[in-house]
Amino acid sequence: MAGLPLRIEGLTVSGEGGRTLLEVPELSIEPGTAVVVRGPSGAGKSTFLYAVSGILPVTAGRILWGDQVLSEMNDPARAAFRRNQVGFVFQDHLLFEELSAFGNASIAALYAPKNRRAGIRSTGTEQLEKLGLSADEHRISGTYSGGERQRIAVARALAADPAIVLADEPTASLDRENADRLADDLMQLARDNGRTLIAVTHDPAMHAQADRVIDIVDGRIQDSAA
Amino acid sequence: MMAFWYDLPVAVQDGLVGLMLLTPAIVLGAVVLRGFETRPLLFALVRQQVWLSIVFVALIAVSVGIGVGLIAQERGLRQGTARAADKFDLIVAAPGSEITAMLAAVYLQASDMPLIDGETYHDIESHPRAELVAPIAFGDSWKDAPVVGTTPQFVVHLAESLTEGRMFASEEEAIAGARVPLSVGDEFSPAHGVGGAAEEDAHRGANYTITGKMPLTGTPWDRAILVPVEAVWGVHGLAVGHGPEWDGVVGPPFEPRYFPGTPAVLVRADSLGSTYGLQATFNNDETMAFFPGTILARLHALMGDVRQLMSVLAVITQVLVTASVLAGLMMLTKLLSRRLALLRALGAPGRFVFALTWSYAVFLIVIGAASGLTLGVLASWAISQAITARTDILVQATLDWPEIHIVAGFISLTSILALLPALLTMKRSVIAGLRG
Repeated sequence: MAGLPLRIEGLTVSGEGGRTLLEVPELSIEPGTAVVVRGPSGAGKSTFLYAVSGILPVTAGRILWGDQVLSEMNDPARAAFRRNQVGFVFQDHLLFEELSAFGNASIAALYAPKNRRAGIRSTGTEQLEKLGLSADEHRISGTYSGGERQRIAVARALAADPAIVLADEPTASLDRENADRLADDLMQLARDNGRTLIAVTHDPAMHAQADRVIDIVDGRIQDSAA
Repeated sequence: MMAFWYDLPVAVQDGLVGLMLLTPAIVLGAVVLRGFETRPLLFALVRQQVWLSIVFVALIAVSVGIGVGLIAQERGLRQGTARAADKFDLIVAAPGSEITAMLAAVYLQASDMPLIDGETYHDIESHPRAELVAPIAFGDSWKDAPVVGTTPQFVVHLAESLTEGRMFASEEEAIAGARVPLSVGDEFSPAHGVGGAAEEDAHRGANYTITGKMPLTGTPWDRAILVPVEAVWGVHGLAVGHGPEWDGVVGPPFEPRYFPGTPAVLVRADSLGSTYGLQATFNNDETMAFFPGTILARLHALMGDVRQLMSVLAVITQVLVTASVLAGLMMLTKLLSRRLALLRALGAPGRFVFALTWSYAVFLIVIGAASGLTLGVLASWAISQAITARTDILVQATLDWPEIHIVAGFISLTSILALLPALLTMKRSVIAGLRG
């Protein structure tokens, strides 16, 4: 699925007690762009990611993915948006360790409409193959190494053929070698179909490969460099 | 409609009632799980919390097992005691407690009872409607086995045919119940009295030889030794029921003058109507005549009240355990909250996460209830064996519809209650869940 453009207008996300966690007066991201978000710990990077994915409701402002106004959707609509448009990679892979690599990669088939299930399963297998994990895809995920598990998480993010890939510190828990491989894989697979990729990361290898780097400090976007 | 229902075979009625009780759970399952494949994730969640899941299943199994066991046990005991009284249509004894007389004459729980004299016995024996009249003279024993004086006709009535040997034919011969540790040809000397109070040497010199063995009847008579009533009278130094010209052939008719007395008499009439007639005739100032089945029914009615109370207690126990289990499940879903939050973050519909949590709870409940059913039957079987060993009343506790109905109702009720932890899962924040 081709990427979607992101447009943010006057976004504010507040936490408990009304404390402002994130403010984005204006931001646009072109479809098919690979964007890296960086900043110190607690700056609001993950909040940004959760807000643009619709996991976190916004306090004020608008988030538009193409012509879809995510910020005005209710909970079920935002979940449907993630289901259909977003692939997510988390910091420590967050797999169902008791399921196989294939089971995790194609997990979306369990709750997708019946007519999409076969497609998700077949794409899941395809992504595992591209990530070098197809030989043993029915092995229980808990028995894979950290790097392999994160690659399974990438396959899961791409199995439903999303327009947007969001990644939260995808290489943080990996050694250098695995981190480099995952950064390459993620960038490559996201770009394959012109998907929009937004990755929160401290990893210089990913910074180097990104089309654009966004800095967040104290909950505000400081700089946006191409 | 009611006529149609009553026309159905009982097993079909029971099956339909079970299905009706299970319907809420089935309908709920169909509605909640519609359109989703929760099974792979359900098993993943169970494997993730395998020990906690086992503890929950065990808790439910024990609670259901207690309920099922109590009901199966009570029914087995009721049926066993009724079966043991089957051959005793009408008992005539001297006035006193019917229950004491029944326990003594039917279940061989000997106690001191006044005797029926020869004239009365003769009146009963000569009644035109009486088909079988036999004295039941208890009070002696050998080891733990009661020695009962009676007639060959009673032995035939009780056992129908012997598994080995032949009927006693003289005062020195005896028939052993199936569980008496004596074989054909063995000899023994009876003690006066039973249990700890038995006097071993009181009948010194009196010896019996076993000439036959009765088949297993599943009644206390399996542990009894039957001897000619003449022998019981003889060893006590009494007349033997026959005059001086007696040819030595044991059994009726007895002469009233030489009849020393018997604590109980079994009577079988030629028809059910005649049995009632005999009961009315001999229920007078001199004797009491009663149907052991009626006394037993009264006791069972009392037991029925106790059973209802026990059933209520069992249900309360189950509800309490279920409440604890649900509270535990709420904690357990908190342990699973990261996985459930992950699903929601990935975009799984809320209804899917709800269905997964609910099916996890119901899976544990169903496995627990099924295990409880098995556990209850096994425990009941073990207790039945113990009761049979102690009382010689064959108690067979088997699984029947009432237990299945209880379990079906339990599953339906708890599957409705299981909606609660599933609902609470949806209230938790996804972000908080993802951060663990």
